[in-house]
Amino acid sequence: MSGKRISLIVNGESVKAEVLVNRLLSDFLRDDLALTGTKRGCETGVCGACSVLVDGDVVKSCLSLAAQVDGKTLTTVEGLGRIGDLHPLQESFMAHGGLQCGYCTPGFLLAAADLLSRNPDPQDAEIREALSGNLCRCTGYQGIVDAVRNVAESTHGN
Amino acid sequence: MTSAIVGEPLPQVSAQEKTLGRAIYSGDVKVAGMLHAKLLRSPYSHAVIRSIDTSAAEALPGVKAVVTGADVPERAWGVAHKQQHVLARGLVRFAGEEVAAVVAVSEAVAQEALDLIVVEYEEAGALLDPEGALDGGAPKVHAEGNLADEINISRGDVEAGFAGADIVHEATYRTHSQYPGYMEPMATVAATDGTGKLTVWTSTQSVFLARQRLAEALDRPVSTIRVIQATVGGGFGAKIVEERSSVIAAFLATVVDRPVRVGLSRLDDIQSGCFSVPTRIHLKMGMMRDGRIVAKDVQVLADCGAYAGLAPEVMLVTAMRSDNMQRIENVRTKAQLVYTHTMPRGAFRGFGGTQMSFALNSHMAVMADMLGMDAIELHRKNAIRTGDVSVHGWNIGSCGLPECLDQVQAAIGWDEKRARPKGTGVLRRGVGMAAVMHVSGNRTMGNWDGSTVVLKVNEDGRAVILTAESDMGQGANTMLSQICAQELGIPLSHVTVQAPDTDSAPYCLGSIASRVTVNAGHAMLKAARQAQGQILEAAAEKLGCDADELSIVDGVVQSNKNGNLFAPLPEICRYHIFRRGGEGILVRATHDPQTVMMDKDHYGNIAPAYSFAAQAVEVEVDTETGQVRVVDTYLSDDCGKAINPLAVHGQSNGAAVQSIGWTLYEHLQFEDGRVMNGNLADYTMPTAESVPTIQSGIVESNDPNGPLGAKGASETAILPGAPAIANAVFDAIGVRITDLPITPEKILAGLAAKEESQHA
Ligand code: FES
Ligand code: FES
Repeated sequence: MSGKRISLIVNGESVKAEVLVNRLLSDFLRDDLALTGTKRGCETGVCGACSVLVDGDVVKSCLSLAAQVDGKTLTTVEGLGRIGDLHPLQESFMAHGGLQCGYCTPGFLLAAADLLSRNPDPQDAEIREALSGNLCRCTGYQGIVDAVRNVAESTHGN
Repeated sequence: MTSAIVGEPLPQVSAQEKTLGRAIYSGDVKVAGMLHAKLLRSPYSHAVIRSIDTSAAEALPGVKAVVTGADVPERAWGVAHKQQHVLARGLVRFAGEEVAAVVAVSEAVAQEALDLIVVEYEEAGALLDPEGALDGGAPKVHAEGNLADEINISRGDVEAGFAGADIVHEATYRTHSQYPGYMEPMATVAATDGTGKLTVWTSTQSVFLARQRLAEALDRPVSTIRVIQATVGGGFGAKIVEERSSVIAAFLATVVDRPVRVGLSRLDDIQSGCFSVPTRIHLKMGMMRDGRIVAKDVQVLADCGAYAGLAPEVMLVTAMRSDNMQRIENVRTKAQLVYTHTMPRGAFRGFGGTQMSFALNSHMAVMADMLGMDAIELHRKNAIRTGDVSVHGWNIGSCGLPECLDQVQAAIGWDEKRARPKGTGVLRRGVGMAAVMHVSGNRTMGNWDGSTVVLKVNEDGRAVILTAESDMGQGANTMLSQICAQELGIPLSHVTVQAPDTDSAPYCLGSIASRVTVNAGHAMLKAARQAQGQILEAAAEKLGCDADELSIVDGVVQSNKNGNLFAPLPEICRYHIFRRGGEGILVRATHDPQTVMMDKDHYGNIAPAYSFAAQAVEVEVDTETGQVRVVDTYLSDDCGKAINPLAVHGQSNGAAVQSIGWTLYEHLQFEDGRVMNGNLADYTMPTAESVPTIQSGIVESNDPNGPLGAKGASETAILPGAPAIANAVFDAIGVRITDLPITPEKILAGLAAKEESQHA
């Protein structure tokens, strides 16, 4: 298997690496960069646990190759916020019961961030539609939808 | 008293690390020198293993070991039935059973080596249908036969009850197997060390039961094994003691004497089980004209697949638990659990309760119609009440079922919606409901249902809780932290819960039978009060006053009599150590409830408290496509006292959606015993888009045996969804579905049959 040199920005830091051309982005992030916040739930593009932002758009990293993100800017859940400076979505998921076991949470946070960047004031139906590429088995989605709506409302003041 | 912490809708104590992506699940654990393993599964449901040639796999560069059933301990493991081995030995009993494992430097190499293993099978006749399991000529799953368990219970005079009944109705119901569908597929890292100890990081609902099982399967003393619970990405019952991959991982680590990781793919996870127990339930009930149930006859046929696991316990719940929800006297039950050559089935949220809830609540709706009575009214009429002793000897210390019924009736707009004229268009709406009960705790695993909590209060006045009860996402650690913080008078953020670790935590049974809040919560309460007592004694000594006049408020010990007499908690905690004969604050408390094990007739008060719930749903049925959509749902949970309402609503909402999935969308498909839809694209669990706004209410019946009045929440909430939907479908289109799932095909067939009978 041939290798490829890639250079990219991950969570604000520049990364250079040599990867096999068939290296999955999810494996690259988790195993090579130790960014284990990106989860694997199906590895077939259905559950969304592996979602990351690539140049601001949500992407399922189990369906992408590391070689494809050469030159791009990535945000994983670890890049969303930090202790004392949480992303509003992180705060809101906590406050509204948007998570229980937390396994799906990184993926939902990034899918929600992607939604709000495209549509800052979504209706519930739009939230549900935008998040339908992610599965959660714990919350029944209600806390997640509440959390996303709340961020939208507090930034829009309505 | 510090400002209220118990009863507040607070975020889970683990929420921050989880939203930061920094919680470590077992699949994230990395140990120096760690190897990776992959498992080879049988493609056949029933076959003799003639030979396994591992030579090509072993020769592949990077492969460290190839292990087969010939290498594993002879000792069999299991719950009551000891019948499984680390890997299949000579015979496979279901398609998906593990026959070999490869340990290699990477998952990719291990996977490549799997393909090089040559297994010669000799197929034998497979028993796939539980209906034929007890026929004389059926292929045998185990040498002793296909009957795994049988339960017979008889109370009162059932025949006299039926003879005197005004109406009698009987029907057969079928429930299918549900995949727990936790988002974290099973993963385990196991490592041996230079002392000979085996350490296992895994996704489990009970570290001590996990350790017990590993000791059995690996045939070594429990103390040579240390199980540490990593963050658990959902369990729903399947991660109690029935999953098998953690056992294999642990064994492989002992073979290569190096750390080994086994992370299941989703397909692996589905193929290895453990799904819920499918049943056929025949129910016959007699009622008086006023709605009183006077006789009940129950026959259950349940399928545990190839190995019994917890399924006998599950079937016992199916067989008799819901009897205790109603004031009945005459009941007879015969339940049989059979083996088939299919994946093992067992524990699943609700633990056998969903199956009977479907039958009973469907039946209640039909009989309400026969009587011309409202279904909610019929439930109210028969509901057990606070202070009752049920037909099987359960002491009902609190029962909020009537209030749950009131809540759902009002919330869904029951009276108006039931009264509206039946739809005739393409899209037709209907409402339905169901009522249920569950245990909070269960004295079933030997004569102890206790819980022990160790509490340390550090010299800065902050607390650390050591327990081996398990938080699998449901919020156990938050519940314990809230009770601890409130009782100690310190902020919630000053409490941490150590991850369960069999080497440091006290013995606990773990998250099963909704027992953690009611039992561990109580132990926590006792431990916190004990620690508080020690702190106040030390403070009294230091301040020169009476301990009785002191309390801890917001981290300060102060006198209720003299406002100038106070000391910050850290000062007192340090004083507790730094005085002659002093020590750090370390207390331990155990709470074992006043319950009994069932006697041989299955009679006795097994739980300190019992929880109740009711749910009403509105559905819309598309009479052209057969699609059923839940458009509104309201679930009320009597959890005694909501220590954390946010968590209780979370449990109710999650359960409501999981039951919608079971009822409408999730359908495990087999061909020749092989799972045909072992992926999340084809095994379709509900998405945010496929469910409506989920609403839930809380009833606080304040159980006298619960810590601060609390009972269990969560499992009760999974029980009413399926029959509520089936009843709503009937209300909408007049078609009664008695076998789950409710598929568009069944709806269309039901409509066609109805049409035909109308024209006949
Ligand atoms: S792991 Fe990528 S979508 Fe499920
Ligand atoms: S919080 Fe557990 S899967 Fe979403």
